[in-house]
Amino acid sequence: MALDKDIYRAFEDVVGPDNISDDPAILDSYSYRWGPQTETFGQRFAAITLPKDTAEVQAIVRLCNKYGIQFKASSTGWGSMSNPGGPEVIKMDLRRMDRIIEINEKNMYAVVEPYVISVQLQAELMKRGLNCNIIGAGGNCSAHPYAAHYGGGHMGESTSLRERNILAVEWVTPEGEIVKLGSLGSLGEWFCGDGPGPSLRGITVGHAAPCGGIGVFTKAATKIYHWAGPPIFPIEGVSPQYAPSEIPPNFFYRYYSFPSAKEMVEAQRRIGESEIAFEVMGFNIAMLASNMGTSNDEDYAYFEQFRKLIQGPGFQVILMGNSPQDFEYKKQVLEQIIRETKGESLKPVEDPKIAGALIWRSIRITASIRECFRAGGAFSAALGGTHPYGEEVAYMEAVSKLKKDLIKKGILRDDDGYYLTWPHEHGHLGHAEILIQFRQTPESIDAIMGFSEAAMKMAIDNRYGVPHSLSGMAPDMHDMFGPHASNYNVWQRRLKQAFDPNEVSDSSGYIKGKQQQGVS
Amino acid sequence: MIDEKKLAKIVGATNVSHNPATLEEYAGDMSFVKPIKPDYVVKPRNAKDIDKLVNLAKETLTPLVPVSSGAPHFRGDTIPGIGGAVIVDLSDMKRIIRVDRMNRVAMVEPGVTFEELIPAVEKEGLRLNMPLLPRKSKSVIGSMLEREPVVMPKYHWDISDPLACVEVIFGTGEMFRTGAAAGPGTIEEQWAVGASQKEAAGPAQVSWHRLIQGAQGTMGIVTWASLRCELLPSIEEPFLVGSSQLDKLLELVHWLTRLQLVNECFILNNINLAAIMAKKFPDDYQDIKDSLPPWTLFFNIAGYEYLPEKRISYQIKDTTDIAQRTGLEPVGAVSRVSALELLKAVQRPSKEPYWKLRYQGGCHDIFFITINDKLPGLISAMYDMADEAGYPASDMGIYLQPIVQGVNCHCEFNLFYDPENPSQSERVRKLATSTINNLMAKGAFFSRPYGESTDIIINRDAASVAALKKVKSILDPNHVMNPGKLCF
Amino acid sequence: MALEDYRKDMELCAKCSICKFIPLEKMKGVQPANVCPSISKYNFNAYSGGGRVNIGMAMLDNRLEYTDKLLHIIYNCQMCGACDVSCKYAMDMEVLEPIYEFRIKAVEEGHTNPALDKVINSLRKQGTMVPGAKAKRGEWAKGLGLKDFTRQKTKVVYHVGCLTSYDKDMWKTARATVNLLNKAGVDFGIGGENESCCGGRAYQMGYETDFIRQAQNNMALFKQCGVETIVTACADCYHAFKVLYDKFGLKGNLEVLHITEYLDRLIKEGRLKPRKKVAMKVTYHDPCHLGRLGEPYIHWEGKEIPGFQRRFDPPKELMRGTYGIYEPPRDVLRSIPGLKLVEMDRIKEYAWCCGAGGGVNESNPEFSLWTADERIAEAESTGAEALVTACPWCEKNFNQAIKECGSSLKVYDVVELLEKAI
Ligand SMILES: Cc1cc2nc3c(=O)[nH]c(=O)nc-3n(C[C@H](O)[C@H](O)[C@H](O)COP(=O)(O)OP(=O)(O)OC[C@H]3O[C@@H](n4cnc5c(N)ncnc54)[C@H](O)[C@@H]3O)c2cc1C
Repeated sequence: MALDKDIYRAFEDVVGPDNISDDPAILDSYSYRWGPQTETFGQRFAAITLPKDTAEVQAIVRLCNKYGIQFKASSTGWGSMSNPGGPEVIKMDLRRMDRIIEINEKNMYAVVEPYVISVQLQAELMKRGLNCNIIGAGGNCSAHPYAAHYGGGHMGESTSLRERNILAVEWVTPEGEIVKLGSLGSLGEWFCGDGPGPSLRGITVGHAAPCGGIGVFTKAATKIYHWAGPPIFPIEGVSPQYAPSEIPPNFFYRYYSFPSAKEMVEAQRRIGESEIAFEVMGFNIAMLASNMGTSNDEDYAYFEQFRKLIQGPGFQVILMGNSPQDFEYKKQVLEQIIRETKGESLKPVEDPKIAGALIWRSIRITASIRECFRAGGAFSAALGGTHPYGEEVAYMEAVSKLKKDLIKKGILRDDDGYYLTWPHEHGHLGHAEILIQFRQTPESIDAIMGFSEAAMKMAIDNRYGVPHSLSGMAPDMHDMFGPHASNYNVWQRRLKQAFDPNEVSDSSGYIKGKQQQGVS
Repeated sequence: MIDEKKLAKIVGATNVSHNPATLEEYAGDMSFVKPIKPDYVVKPRNAKDIDKLVNLAKETLTPLVPVSSGAPHFRGDTIPGIGGAVIVDLSDMKRIIRVDRMNRVAMVEPGVTFEELIPAVEKEGLRLNMPLLPRKSKSVIGSMLEREPVVMPKYHWDISDPLACVEVIFGTGEMFRTGAAAGPGTIEEQWAVGASQKEAAGPAQVSWHRLIQGAQGTMGIVTWASLRCELLPSIEEPFLVGSSQLDKLLELVHWLTRLQLVNECFILNNINLAAIMAKKFPDDYQDIKDSLPPWTLFFNIAGYEYLPEKRISYQIKDTTDIAQRTGLEPVGAVSRVSALELLKAVQRPSKEPYWKLRYQGGCHDIFFITINDKLPGLISAMYDMADEAGYPASDMGIYLQPIVQGVNCHCEFNLFYDPENPSQSERVRKLATSTINNLMAKGAFFSRPYGESTDIIINRDAASVAALKKVKSILDPNHVMNPGKLCF
Repeated sequence: MALEDYRKDMELCAKCSICKFIPLEKMKGVQPANVCPSISKYNFNAYSGGGRVNIGMAMLDNRLEYTDKLLHIIYNCQMCGACDVSCKYAMDMEVLEPIYEFRIKAVEEGHTNPALDKVINSLRKQGTMVPGAKAKRGEWAKGLGLKDFTRQKTKVVYHVGCLTSYDKDMWKTARATVNLLNKAGVDFGIGGENESCCGGRAYQMGYETDFIRQAQNNMALFKQCGVETIVTACADCYHAFKVLYDKFGLKGNLEVLHITEYLDRLIKEGRLKPRKKVAMKVTYHDPCHLGRLGEPYIHWEGKEIPGFQRRFDPPKELMRGTYGIYEPPRDVLRSIPGLKLVEMDRIKEYAWCCGAGGGVNESNPEFSLWTADERIAEAESTGAEALVTACPWCEKNFNQAIKECGSSLKVYDVVELLEKAI
């Protein structure tokens, strides 16, 4: 809905005329939708703004409170949760806030603004022998921890995940206050986000991101990790034929498949407990094929080749040795574990050229777009956050049966019904999701929606956990799940009411201050 | 004053006390916080009792002060902030609810101490990431709720570790379970499908455990908590590195933590190391102290199930290489202190009497979080201030604990003193508060403020205080939970 | 083809934003990260490759009117194709094609840009995209005694292009080219006043009909004169003859070579021997239409295979920039004794555009120069004393930007440097 002229002008005064627009063409480039949707275009924003710093963000938030208009901030805007929840929502596209504020090598943290993408941060860190967590969605997403929906990715085994990596944060609350968490508030330093006293980190993020529902996080510090690889990866060739000239010393790649999920879980546990892996990523072979295939045809051919070569579910392992002897030890232990758990290496990817390319692609996470969108897909069915890896796999095995039914009906692409899994923090916890690929037809969308609902119901009824909607936590979902989970919806709503009394921070991916009618 | 009968009805008459001697015990502690006598001390037996107590307090607007550990207390957080309070002493809730080897997690009630939990987890091949030599009576939950630093930075991924989930009765009288424990289903139903209440974050978009930690009981009372455990090593090889150059030791610590090579890892000055290792005071203590270099780094290398000897041997080589680069040499013993002996000591709670009290009978801790680069400046400032206050530098213990995998360092100044000596006590008391501003200016972040210095610390940032008050107004709108603490 | 024909491609856009960045595997630090000048300057998503295809869909769905803002979006893109390459790392979908079609549609529906109209008027009247009279097109060659291929049959035609023909500052490149071809003993001719614009830049501006007319006329002339090989030193002309003419089925068997390809060949055949030292540290800028957009056009006819991944029978190979002309200009530079070639961060398929393409140079000089400035800063950061390119449009834009920003960087065409060495 068009903003009243005076109101528009008030926002324009904040960001300048070049950085605000309500032209339909500008708006539609934000309202286009991918994924299982019946409509190509969703709700338009009332206007798009491009604030350049915290002060402008704060001023916009204050104006929103003044005029009773909602706002939604976004980083790269990939997530469907960065869409507006209604017609009177202003977008804050944080594109102009793109600085790495600090990389503190000795104390292993980095501070970023929302439009630094993970690859930028990682590339900068690698020059310093460091690395960061990158979400599975890919290095093209924001490195800012509040943008990621769940916050974990391929390197979770050694780089943990968002919720646990956050340090100090600068937060513009829905009322327009600037709250500086932890050492930032006390000292102006970024190294710690908790205290004094209770940690306000708790109200800013949980196992899922607030998806725009509780203000704007303008800067955040996040923990970083050691990197023993080269400062710049030796990638050669011209797109998309990229491959490294060599596998760096002390790096090792294998993809293993197992007779069944039981052996896979056991192997993962032993790898985690022996602390040997830099990355354990439970790609299914369709996803592996996407990582390798530089075109749809190649992707298809690899998949057809691999599905004949594997025993059952599997994962890829990347070892990174900090020294030659560290590397040798890790390799030896891995080989022993794989022998004991009856894993089999997928031979074609042992080829150093292919392995080299896969190492890099999986560390930088550049192929998730291929994995998901070449065949038109979406990640669906997951438990919120992390759980024991074995529990995650058990849930996936159950959901995979539903997926296989839809494959049989020809609604989903036949990828043998597999899911993907990965552990965090040397196997302490894990995460799993299922990728479904489909053609956009009204029937397929109905079936997919039905699948998602059934998978969520299964998570609740079978006590696996609170499901994680991958398109943001719509408010009514909280009211559905909450009664099964300590009535968390009631508590989260109270927080929302206290911190956003005017309900200006768009809650379409959070919880609304007022409970919707007809939802228990 | 609340009606004793009502309390007795909830916890049973034998678990309510208003015996003056008992009340006196809870009225004060070893800190400088002004004593205030509670009206009652109650000892709930289970979560139901707690639930009823909180609801009663809410109705009657009675302050509740939850206490999990046994005496002696040190920080004033369990001393009632106002009169008319009821102490909720949870130390009798001693159930070890579960130890889950596969998922490396344990679940305990608040009264369970380290001494009690260690053998239980060891039986399953697990171990705890402990604070440094907690006193014998220290509750595991108490320690985790206070975000106490732990001695194995490698397994301390997040500052909230090793806490996983909690069940809590908020000040509103409502029960809530945090993280994965929230639901769906009962805890037992969750176990049946392989769940283990280990994910701390959530449910959904809030991480409630973070609001309960560091709150000093001002939000609610925890009835159980689950915690991450680590594997018991099959072999270990500890080392000591003595030096007068702290910067070199810090450089070494940086690499040991960055490469995640070592398990236990911390630095003590000669005073603290002597205080821990001495068997006889004062002679033994003095001898050890005099024989030690100013700083000693302790670290421990471990092997687990797979090729443990091989792992230990290459890790020793790697650590030695790094140490040599910094001009240091890890050894098995520094003067009379053996690394193995220290390792054994720090894998258990402190022997009685508590190590901090052995030397002079009293100890006041000033502690904060910082980063390595700021430590030398902070330590030298502290020496100067101690000197100015007439506190002998030769009595000040220093403990440096890398935490959060080396991202932060917990720095603790232990001011040993004789509590029977009023002038010494007064000197320490003054020093404890007068140093805070100066230390903050030099990069000390007091993430856990206690006692008299709380206001100076917490009021530095009005926006955070306002936010905290909002949280408080949701979880404990009637201000019955430990009122008078922090900014509440 | 029309915008509608790309609906299925546009529907594949997943808003992942990789069109805004250099290929992720090639990123070496926090900067440079951007690959698209338009989104880098204007920031709203609509200015990115992805945003453009998103609003292309909106246009097809009749959701948009031609507002000033929409026209600003449409015309403020250099058509450099960087978004297309970055996207195709991951996806089998066309990005640049629908962007072209969107602009063509706007032109066809009468929503043109006045500055571009002016240029096209000149094209229609004088056969040139830069101001100048048809009769004066061959002036640069006065006194050189070159063959006129329309009168004397030559196998090789040196097509000079509009900018080099009319901009006196560029004559040096044309003369150097002549010099080198002569030295190598190449029998070649020029068109002189009969040379006419290739039409490529008209196509970039959205004037498809004008482009086709130019292409048809040119090809008719080439055929009539028995021309077998066209050599040009202009990347836009090269792209037009080689790729666009082929796309529209007009190229026939014409061999199209960029001068750098030709010189590289001549050096490797021993017909040119760079012997003189040119002691200089240079960096090379890949012109978009020679580099990523310079690969051969791939014809395909067939049908989509029903299924989930978009696959075709026979398999359809996409133009992803993989086979652009990257090495020949570099090999020429490497053959020059004493010359040290250092690379910028953004090169080859992900080179940053000079800013002059897509009509932006004419319609929005400020944006055009802003784009050049960014490249100049990147070139400076290599420590090179000169920025070498292989297209007069790049050279002109860089020179103008350098003049305005006061950089000490020099700009050369590859041809000029080779001439110094021979
Ligand atoms: C193919 C695919 C794979 C995925 N895999 C994963 C995965 O493995 N792990 C994972 O965690 N997620 C995954 N996701 C979801 C993913 O988290 C989001 O799509 C991703 O984080 C988007 O990043 P972004 O920079 O585009 O954020 P945006 O889309 O810009 O923002 C995401 C949400 O955060 C809010 N937001 C962004 N920045 C701010 C800010 N500064 N302040 C306040 N709110 C803000 C937005 O309002 C929005 O609700 C996947 C998504 C896709 C499409």
